[in-house]
Amino acid sequence: MIADTWYLFNKYMKISMRMPLWSLFSLIQPLLWLIIFGSLFKYFANLPNFPTNTYIDYFVPGVLIMTVLFGSSWAGVSLLREISAGTVDKMLVSPASRTSIVLSRVIHSAAQVVIQALIVLVAAWIMGASTNYNPIYLFLAMLVILFLGIAFASLSNGLAMMLQREEPLVILGNLMTLPLMFFSSAMVPQQFMPGWIHTLSLINPIEYAVDAVRAALSPTPNLGDFYIGFFVTFGFALATLYWSISAFRAIRD
Amino acid sequence: MIRVNNLTKVYRSGTQALDQLSIQIDESEIFALLGPNGAGKSSAIKILTTLSGFDEGEVTVAGFNVDTHPDKVRQSIGYVAQETGVDYFLTGRENLVLQGHLYRMTKKDITTRIDELSEYFSLNEALDNLVSSYSGGMRRKLDIATALIHRPKILFLDEPTLGLDTQSRKSLWEYIEKLNTELGLTILLTTHYLEEADKLSHRVAIINNGKIKIAGNPEELKNQICGDVVSLQFDAPENKQDLSNQLKKLPFVKDVKWEMDKLHLYVSNGATSIPPLIDHCHSVNEKVQNVAFSHPTLDDVFIQQTGSSIDSTQEDQGPQWWEKWAGKGNNSKWAKKWPSENEVDSSSETKLTEKDNKNSNEQWPKEDTTEWNNENQWPKDNNTENHAESDNNWPENKEWQKDGQQSWDEKSQWPNNKN
Repeated sequence: MIADTWYLFNKYMKISMRMPLWSLFSLIQPLLWLIIFGSLFKYFANLPNFPTNTYIDYFVPGVLIMTVLFGSSWAGVSLLREISAGTVDKMLVSPASRTSIVLSRVIHSAAQVVIQALIVLVAAWIMGASTNYNPIYLFLAMLVILFLGIAFASLSNGLAMMLQREEPLVILGNLMTLPLMFFSSAMVPQQFMPGWIHTLSLINPIEYAVDAVRAALSPTPNLGDFYIGFFVTFGFALATLYWSISAFRAIRD
Repeated sequence: MIRVNNLTKVYRSGTQALDQLSIQIDESEIFALLGPNGAGKSSAIKILTTLSGFDEGEVTVAGFNVDTHPDKVRQSIGYVAQETGVDYFLTGRENLVLQGHLYRMTKKDITTRIDELSEYFSLNEALDNLVSSYSGGMRRKLDIATALIHRPKILFLDEPTLGLDTQSRKSLWEYIEKLNTELGLTILLTTHYLEEADKLSHRVAIINNGKIKIAGNPEELKNQICGDVVSLQFDAPENKQDLSNQLKKLPFVKDVKWEMDKLHLYVSNGATSIPPLIDHCHSVNEKVQNVAFSHPTLDDVFIQQTGSSIDSTQEDQGPQWWEKWAGKGNNSKWAKKWPSENEVDSSSETKLTEKDNKNSNEQWPKEDTTEWNNENQWPKDNNTENHAESDNNWPENKEWQKDGQQSWDEKSQWPNNKN
């Protein structure tokens, strides 16, 4: 299974390497948000009790999570394309493990998202954000991003198998990402949220991922907060992955 | 090699794809499943290749039960799907390598196998180009090559020449035949092209509504139909009725029908019956201008086998299969034969179209037409592969319509009419 996953992962990596521009397209939106929101909410940081000195310092972890959402929430579209092109049947007719077909796709989108997050981080650095660039904490933050990417790519792949059509999949992807973003502390610190949004954010996996990334990238890293967020994200990734693999098996067999 | 017993499959939507289907395919045989779209061909092949489950029955492929040992079945079969299964964004070689890895072959083995296959399918130069730059025929060849990478014993081809131009189709046929004769591959193919099944297969099974209607050697199936059709063109015969009555009394003549001064005789064997027929005409002083005879095609078998059931089920089945079939662009079988709207009473259009199709098929046998006279009145057809191009029946039909036989209903009184 591991070998099958590796070969298929290689295939997807090769394909995205051949179209680097296409992969970069999904970067445009987080970068725009970084620039627009970074300047729009600039004076937000002057409020009393704002956790960081500048707004952009606060916003960078949020934009990294956004990159994940925009990068992996449409991963299922290409699964549908592959099914109609017949390449999925080609894999299914071989003895290759069924699990590895989904796994390789999901890991591929997550890996892509990590690369994009690193690029966003470089942009943030250019814009003068004072995040923690210590490689160990950077690695921890990227682990969270990898698992969140796996989770959303799995969700999208699983939905693709359930819906079997591209249009509703894209609509659902949109519907999923935006509220999840706003019902978390990605852009607004918890203490400024209305009570009901704060309550909602407690059951939002994004909230925990943002917390974990923020805890790791803060100039004063807080490992306790990081672990909570990391394990919630990890659990979320495992659950969605399991669900999408069983959705894939249910449709094909 | 393949044994299927009472296979039944009902989709979740409730449509019954297969109904008590049984087939047995021997080693090194080319077996064709011939049927209209939606007949259950693809459903059957998907079950045999472990891609889809089934409700009842027993399926054994290459000695393994597809239900209990799917991985063993997968190792011993190659499958070429209706859609091109090769990835457009990879090169031909990368596609082959990936497929080799998925079949757990060693790197060295994959390399030797790719050399063999690219040689065999003459892909050499194109192997390192992206598949998106390939032509349709090349893509098909690569697709078959990827299906053969692990040296399977059985090859499944689902509509292998769908959407290909005439030349690519012919060359693909040669490859398929070669795979069978040189490598001894057992090949199961599905098709809705009659001449494809006719040319390639050792045995053909006609499938409709999930059931096998008839199976056997294409030649035998055609012989079962009605033997041959002999057509005699006379120079102003004096007493048509007498002549045809006399000829009908000959033991080998099954039926006779006049069309102007031309007499169609349905006989068991065309070649041997021509001399006695001509002798008889000479003995009654009728001058035969021109003789032609033709073999029935698989087309006729197909119509005979599927015709009845289609008649009884067409009302509640939405668009009829030949309409879907005709919708398939230039390859459509009936493309040129459909009467235009002003020629047909619109209320009964489909019925008449159907009659007309059947009639023109029986009226104007298209293939294997042998001619002895330059002045032939028989539609010229040089066994062109593409039906849409070769079906020149319309102008002909229109001509004799002008000669007095105007209505479609009269046409349906033509010989051997099953309506």
